Amino acid sequence: MRHNRKHLDFEVNLIPCIDLLSVCICFLLLTAVWLQVGSMNVKQAIGGQSAAETPKKPQLWVNMGADGDLTLNVKESSAIPRKLAQMKLKIVDLAKAVTQLKSLDPALNTVLIQPRAQSEYDEIIGLMDEFKKAGLNDLGVVPL
Amino acid sequence: MLETQSVLTDTAMTSVLAGESQLRPSHAKVKRNVNADLLLTALIDAFSILVIFLLASFSSSGELLTMSKDMELPKASLNEILERNPVVKIDGTKLYLEDKEITTDSLIAELIQLRKQFAETRPGEEYPGIVTVQADRRLKYELLNQIVLAASAAGFGDIRFAVLAK
Repeated sequence: MRHNRKHLDFEVNLIPCIDLLSVCICFLLLTAVWLQVGSMNVKQAIGGQSAAETPKKPQLWVNMGADGDLTLNVKESSAIPRKLAQMKLKIVDLAKAVTQLKSLDPALNTVLIQPRAQSEYDEIIGLMDEFKKAGLNDLGVVPL
Repeated sequence: MLETQSVLTDTAMTSVLAGESQLRPSHAKVKRNVNADLLLTALIDAFSILVIFLLASFSSSGELLTMSKDMELPKASLNEILERNPVVKIDGTKLYLEDKEITTDSLIAELIQLRKQFAETRPGEEYPGIVTVQADRRLKYELLNQIVLAASAAGFGDIRFAVLAK
């Protein structure tokens, strides 16, 4: 009987692996985009369709006052009582109020924001973000 | 003396040079293991983790916006993916459309020009009418209002405000 004395310590050559990983790391580091930029989509109404042809949908008008005061005004909704359809609140109470309005009228999906001339862009985006969180995705900005 | 007490005994004499030593040539006869094995497994582990992390944070859309040093975009937690559309940038008091400096008065005409160019290059295709607005988070709405009005007047009903993910 013949005994084959083979070398059993098999070693994988790791150098090509290191080369490949180094190239991958260099490529990914060079092409990486570190800032995650997204977009807040706003649909503006453009004239062309008469008011009579436009289907009536519940709308929430938000007036941005000074010192972070907000005035909410629900239009074209029969499900929301008059008492709740108009209210004045601070931005910290907005999420609770919008959730309440949305639960009363699930068809409420449109928000029109009326900023002041001195309103900061950051405040407007923050407001839009709050509405999106509450499930109101159809956003618009009212020009001055 | 030099050979026995110095650090050379532990370093140079045991290195690859040991066999070539002129101090005691008889050392060449001693078979020493000169293969210094580096632990490559740990290195590969670290590289793999780096590659996985970079792949996870890789964005195939590339950089669609050019940011100036002083510009700070507003932050939003619920945002959508930014797409390639005409970009209107407000940088201080300057206004740019696709990196070309314009004035607020000429914005409507420039946007209409973009529509015309699209109609010429892609006949029969409907123009999407989307514009991306890039502005500093401290900007007052009175300036932003001019862009909103100009975009609406030029038929760009879909405005996308560029934001940073929170």
